[in-house]
Amino acid sequence: MPTPALLLLLATLLPLISAGLLMGLGKRMGRPLAGVVGTVFIAGSMTASLVAMAMWLNVPPDSPYGSGQGPVVQFLRWLPMGGESYLDVGVYIDSLTIAMFATITTVATFVHIFSLGYMADDARFHRFFAYLGLFCFSMLGLITAGTLLQMFVFWELVGLCSYLLIGFWYERKSASNAAMKAFIMNRVGDVGFLVGIGLLVYHLCHTSLPLLWMQLGGAGTMAPTDAAAGGFSYLTLTIIGLCLFLGAVGKSAQIPLHTWLADAMEGPTPVSALIHSATMVAAGVYLMARVFPMLTPDAKLVIAIVGVTTLTFGALVALVQNDIKRVLAYSTMSQLGYMILAIGIGSWVGALFHLVTHAFFKSLLFLGAGSVIHAMHHEQDMRQYGGLSRRLPITSLAFAIGVIAIAGTPFFSGYYSKSMILTHAAAYGIAAEGEGRAWANWLLFILPTAVAFLTAFYMARCWMLTFAGRPRNVRLYNDAQESWVIYTPLLGLAMMSIIAGPHIGVGHFLNGSIREATRYIESGRVAPLAPPARFAGFDSHWPVVLPTDLRTRGNAESNAIPEADQPETDTVPDTLEVAAALEHLWAYWAFAVGIGLAIAVYFRGYALTQHLARIAPVRHAMTFLENAFYIDRLYRAIFVSVARTVAFLCSAFDKYVVDGVVNGVAGLTRHLSTLAGLADRYLVDRAVTGAGEAALNIGAAVRAPQAGRIRLYVTALLLLATFALAIAVYLIGT
Amino acid sequence: MLTITLTHYLVLAATIFAAGVLTIMLKRNAIGILMGVELVLNAANINLVAFNYFQHPGTPAQPLLTGQIFAIFIIVIAAAEAAVALAIFLNFYNNFATVDVERATEMRG
Repeated sequence: MPTPALLLLLATLLPLISAGLLMGLGKRMGRPLAGVVGTVFIAGSMTASLVAMAMWLNVPPDSPYGSGQGPVVQFLRWLPMGGESYLDVGVYIDSLTIAMFATITTVATFVHIFSLGYMADDARFHRFFAYLGLFCFSMLGLITAGTLLQMFVFWELVGLCSYLLIGFWYERKSASNAAMKAFIMNRVGDVGFLVGIGLLVYHLCHTSLPLLWMQLGGAGTMAPTDAAAGGFSYLTLTIIGLCLFLGAVGKSAQIPLHTWLADAMEGPTPVSALIHSATMVAAGVYLMARVFPMLTPDAKLVIAIVGVTTLTFGALVALVQNDIKRVLAYSTMSQLGYMILAIGIGSWVGALFHLVTHAFFKSLLFLGAGSVIHAMHHEQDMRQYGGLSRRLPITSLAFAIGVIAIAGTPFFSGYYSKSMILTHAAAYGIAAEGEGRAWANWLLFILPTAVAFLTAFYMARCWMLTFAGRPRNVRLYNDAQESWVIYTPLLGLAMMSIIAGPHIGVGHFLNGSIREATRYIESGRVAPLAPPARFAGFDSHWPVVLPTDLRTRGNAESNAIPEADQPETDTVPDTLEVAAALEHLWAYWAFAVGIGLAIAVYFRGYALTQHLARIAPVRHAMTFLENAFYIDRLYRAIFVSVARTVAFLCSAFDKYVVDGVVNGVAGLTRHLSTLAGLADRYLVDRAVTGAGEAALNIGAAVRAPQAGRIRLYVTALLLLATFALAIAVYLIGT
Repeated sequence: MLTITLTHYLVLAATIFAAGVLTIMLKRNAIGILMGVELVLNAANINLVAFNYFQHPGTPAQPLLTGQIFAIFIIVIAAAEAAVALAIFLNFYNNFATVDVERATEMRG
């Protein structure tokens, strides 16, 4: 009887096997076969994940596995750290892991099928599927990782796959540049991640997640004046949290490390769908979810601010982009901002719920864009589109479902996750006001709510410009076609985008993860070596139980942490109900208003916006947004030019100082050598070559007359004969 | 009246000999050299016949013809020599596509 853990192991290894197989034999397999092999393997992985999920849901209460009893945890000692401490490797599998597995493998399977059609003409067809397999393996490994260090390894592996796939068409200069940019910007974030891990290892000698939760679980309820939790001061914990968050900032393309994501659209569209919207960029959110109990209130405030900045920024920039993939890229950034905001305000389930639903509808949107791009011969500019719903009816339908889902329309998955985040943001605002904190805390609710309108607007704009109106490029329009291998995955993902909300209980499922973690840590199975500090769990930092409340309560009943929510059961619903009402009041109609406005504005294509662009301030604002606040240019001015100057100085130093020394030494050596050479040449060589030359000269002298020239011989003979005769005559004569 | 003496013959032979030797010395054409050789041989023939006629004519009843016989031998040998030489030149021409003796430098050290 296979356990869910074994099935997940199988699901993780299948893509790796496929990647190895395709690396080695892919070229020999030929065009359709290599892709089919990759697709079959990832489909097997998906089957294993779904079976594991089914088993997880149906475990009997007394089983050692599953949500009934807590997570599957298996650690092995790896590196001795002195004394009793070891760096562990291991797996931590809970409902979140299972849900992520199901999401990732499902999306990946659809993307693989799509790629069979999309990449059919590519010269490096087999290598594409090999990279995809490697990516899926890395991503699944990241999800199962039980320690931060292990997570970091897979974190880098997905970064590598992202690099390889962004630069897949490396013949294009822009693609290889974008790949390098993504890689380098991710390195900046990874430095933070690594420093965070280093601090943890330095202080605690381990990075195992459950142990960290147990030892540092009190962080979420700490105040700056509190005594150390788990041996850490408030400041150290905040720094660790922010260091780890920096890693997430890089991976999830949050401000200020966001510029790589838009450029990453240089990669093939299936890659954008799988890696740069659904899975890898969500890894930052996943990491934050896993280290959530260690985040101090201040760290979370920073996280929330970064999240809300990014989601606003992304939505504003997405409003005016003309490249269909860039619209989606900035939209992804904005949605990731929602998730990061959710982490920051303590809406753990909200963040992960949105992660799952977003994975489905955003990969659907990207694959829809891919279908359009494929049909339009790789034209990505929406100014060349228009009216495509008549040529690509199924794509336009699927894309519309994606748009409706992301806009937050009720009964579609995006609505539930987004409204959960907004409700919690409202609750956060209420609680902050009740606490007498700055009014600015309300911005964490106001901005996301406003952006919900913008989201509906820019996504509907994208649909209108692509599929509605009159074709703006008739030649491309007439060529456009869709094939079954392209739109089948779209339909599958469209279905998932509709049902991946409460219809299949994703939210409840994720809630299970919190219960499991709490139960596991309370069971005392985590580690016998360290006494638990105060585990406050995942859900204790919800906005409704703000740090101050919890602290006063915590001091009052310092030992009764696990079920600490109990005394507040009568106040909790109140706050949440008010928050839900607020959310309902302001954000419920976002989808209708946004989509309606977009239909009105873009009913006749670009006509109205072109009129608007005649007004100078509007035009300037649009240019400003179109260039994404000129942040790329700013970075170029600040970092690139500084780096260039430094490089230039280094080069000059190298050229004139280092090279000067080297050249000087070399020159000296050369002169000495010349002297030695002269001595050699004129003293030693003279003797040797003298002998040789003498032999040569004699030889040459002897050889010269024997030139084989008959006439010369005859002449010589005659002259000698004459001479001899003359002598003879003379002698005889005398 | 001028009588033709041995000296005339010797001068003629010497002239032809010189012409022959010069031909051998100066000609690059192998056929020309062969002609020069023929001239040298014929100069010798003239000498032989002339010496025989003027020095040892023998008696009218029994003339001495040693020189003439020698000359005929030489003519025969010259014919043989010409045949051999022409064969060599033919081969030479086959190999070098020319009969210029200056080009025969294959065995040069």
